[in-house]
Amino acid sequence: MLDSLSASSWSLHHAAHLLNRAGFGGSPDEVQAFHAKGLETAVKSLIEGKDDDTLFPAPDWAKSRDMTETRTELVSLPEDQRKKIQQQLRMNGRDEMLALREWWMTRMRYTEWPLREKMALFWHGHFATSIEKVHETYWMYLQNQTFRTHGLGSFQGLVKWMTRDPAMIRWLDLQQSNLRHPNENFAREVMELFTLGEGHYTEKDIRESARAFTGYRFDPKTQQFAFAANQHDEGQKTFMSKTGNFDGDGIVDIIFEQPQCARFMAKKIWSFFAYENPPQDIVDILAEEFRAKNYNVGGFLSSIFQSSEFYSKTAYRTQIKSPAQWIVETSKTLETKIPDTLATENAMRQMGQVLFAPPNVKGWVGNRAWISTSTLFFRYNMAAYFVTERISKGQEMQGRIPIQLSMEKVAPAAIRNDEEALVSSLEFRLMNAPLPARERAAALIYAQRYHGDMTDARIRDLLLMMMSTPEFQLT
Amino acid sequence: MNEPTSRSLHTRREFLRTTLLGGAFSLTVPFFLEQTFMTMDALAADSAIQTTTGKNGTILILLQLAGGNDGLNTVIPYADDAYYRARPKIGLKPNQCLKLNSYCGLNPRLVGLKSLYDQGHMGLIQGVGYPNPNRSHFRSTEIWATGSDANDAEAQGWIGRYFDNCCKGSDPSVGISISREVPQTFAANEPRGISFMQPEQFRYKKESASDPTSVDSFYRVLQQPGGDAGGVGSNEGGSIGAISGSAPADGSSLDYLRRTALDAQVSSDRILEISRKQKSLVDYPKSQLANNFNLIGRLIAGGMPTRVYYLSQGGYDTHSGQQGTHDRLMGDLDGALCAFVEDLKKQGNLGRVVIMTFSEFGRRMEENASGGTDHGAAAPLFVLGGGVHPGLYGRYPSLTQLQDGDLVFNTDFRSLYATLLEKWLNVPSDKVLKRKFPLMPFLT
Repeated sequence: MLDSLSASSWSLHHAAHLLNRAGFGGSPDEVQAFHAKGLETAVKSLIEGKDDDTLFPAPDWAKSRDMTETRTELVSLPEDQRKKIQQQLRMNGRDEMLALREWWMTRMRYTEWPLREKMALFWHGHFATSIEKVHETYWMYLQNQTFRTHGLGSFQGLVKWMTRDPAMIRWLDLQQSNLRHPNENFAREVMELFTLGEGHYTEKDIRESARAFTGYRFDPKTQQFAFAANQHDEGQKTFMSKTGNFDGDGIVDIIFEQPQCARFMAKKIWSFFAYENPPQDIVDILAEEFRAKNYNVGGFLSSIFQSSEFYSKTAYRTQIKSPAQWIVETSKTLETKIPDTLATENAMRQMGQVLFAPPNVKGWVGNRAWISTSTLFFRYNMAAYFVTERISKGQEMQGRIPIQLSMEKVAPAAIRNDEEALVSSLEFRLMNAPLPARERAAALIYAQRYHGDMTDARIRDLLLMMMSTPEFQLT
Repeated sequence: MNEPTSRSLHTRREFLRTTLLGGAFSLTVPFFLEQTFMTMDALAADSAIQTTTGKNGTILILLQLAGGNDGLNTVIPYADDAYYRARPKIGLKPNQCLKLNSYCGLNPRLVGLKSLYDQGHMGLIQGVGYPNPNRSHFRSTEIWATGSDANDAEAQGWIGRYFDNCCKGSDPSVGISISREVPQTFAANEPRGISFMQPEQFRYKKESASDPTSVDSFYRVLQQPGGDAGGVGSNEGGSIGAISGSAPADGSSLDYLRRTALDAQVSSDRILEISRKQKSLVDYPKSQLANNFNLIGRLIAGGMPTRVYYLSQGGYDTHSGQQGTHDRLMGDLDGALCAFVEDLKKQGNLGRVVIMTFSEFGRRMEENASGGTDHGAAAPLFVLGGGVHPGLYGRYPSLTQLQDGDLVFNTDFRSLYATLLEKWLNVPSDKVLKRKFPLMPFLT
């Protein structure tokens, strides 16, 4: 494996970096406490985590229902009533998606197991499935829970879970795949996007494995996975030069014997947590480690988080925050709530990451692709949402909640007239790192100008200035 | 360097200076400001070498009719009994149609387009689609946006690939989408193109601050590149050297952010200024679509270096009670397009612009029980502009030889893309579309 970071070089900045990447950052106090654990214990606490399921109960609609019943009911109704009900169902669906997104964002914000949520976010982007085609909110919830429950376990196991995931089954047309006409969509993506990458399988491998995945369906009565034996192809298949009566699991097992599988996934996981485009020698080392850990994601991450490369210049503060990271990290560092449902919904849309609705099966491109002139303006302007308290009576009536930024916490009276201390404190809170010289100079000039008169309003302006910068978009 | 280039460099430099210094800069001039100006001059020099996005270049406008426009009630095969058999309720009568030939005619609401057709400004492409048509809005929109095959998931848009391959180093406003999100059509390796609904929103909102002037000044200064090496006692040469070359493809994320920030700031100032100062030469009808065309008209008149504009008209998913809705949409479309063409004509810019409409699919031949139509496949689309050779292209698909109840395409939509790329934007289309498609004669 890669060289380990020595326990003695573990600094506050290392701790902040790890907390940002493995989770969603933290307040200065949280970073301090995390640092105090020491490297090994800190990593262990991330991997083992603390189950917080009871803190985030499932939305009450998130349970299975009999889809055939609804269908029969609808058919029996006169047209105008049917339309009315269909419209109502669509509206319910929209509300449920809003609720589900809020539920997850809240969970990212307050979770006691940040790595588990971060990994769920990774898997959501990897097995990118969209409500736009799935149309069943319960299934989106179910898939999200699968990412949570199994996301730090065996990657091989997780792929098998995905072959049984109703949202995925609908998303990649497995439900329509049958004995006579095996649909190749799922089989192709399993290899191209989920495990091996393009060019590491043949068209024949796709055709043969598509046969193995026939019969992997959901039962509309229970909304759960149900293997349809009468639609499953029991014949011999030749896949990656092995022949046998493989089912889906058999195919997955053969895929995981390919060295390419470890290379592909090790690189992708590294890119998400550390930096993009790692050199080949690092990919090889990572792939070897992933295989040595039997594709156990938690074990693999533990090695990554203890490697010195993870804290190198190439990795440190070089990642552009995803929209989810931007919102959650900002509210964690400023110790505020997350913006209310509609504000968050709008912000995620404007910044280009609508959860449960990735743009396509490849997921979000990420990093630089998050940034366009319009999304950058939006990020700059969104900063004002966190630092200014402008909520009209009307907005309050609509249920908009102030973000509750504590000025005393962010800028205690004791440091308000010590510009150096004030700027250092704010930059650590916002960036966990010193600002570049020019930004720092600018902030100091501003603060010095109001020496002796650093009101809350000026602190807010100072925060706004520091957050409306390219620097703040990095983590 | 030739004369116009150095002039535009001069203008740009002036522009940046006035933008930065204009308005009350109430602070004592900080020491990093001077350095910033040097950096910006270097940047301005960089962006002045852009010939692809000159003020006089050709412009492409993509108008998406979102939801799946009913091609059969847009261009009506009024002489075909099969049409009336399939559409006893919503079929449009022969005497209503604006006849184009002895077989088909335009929707009665497209009066203005009919006259543009007669004046020789419009081409009509029939039977446009692609093999193995997908009937999901989501997926089919993606296929149109990316120009991919039906069974191939492609992340980048066809215009995005055009930006990537053919507009390196161009002004960020080379593409403008009047929308909240950047359309997938623009999605690129290195995202270019900007999007906004209203120019007033496409800006840094300094009024959120309690001291807007100071905050805005800081905002403007801090977007400039070269900050890392700047500051007290630093080596000025280092920071300028770092940005004087072309866009560093392997540069840091911070570098990339700073460039985008500068792009945003500069294009925002320009767009705001143009949208405030520029007045339309014609009266536009009152609709969202017309407002958007009005804005594009002013941006063109104001000299934006934009090559591709993108806008969209929604509401075409007419599963039930289609007639009223579709009539209204057609009327809206007709009014907005005609006002826009008139505007361009008065500006003297009609010859520079081609507009193409498109929709993710047409609709089912047979009307459904709710007086609407379900998702279909092939459909006609319009190309308009001073440079368009008028006429009908492609064939009207057979109404009797259907595939799964839908019209079969005879013109691949990527042939249109290839034609627009080769003959209008003057770039090799296979670089963008990844292979050759037959070119069409609606452009020279």
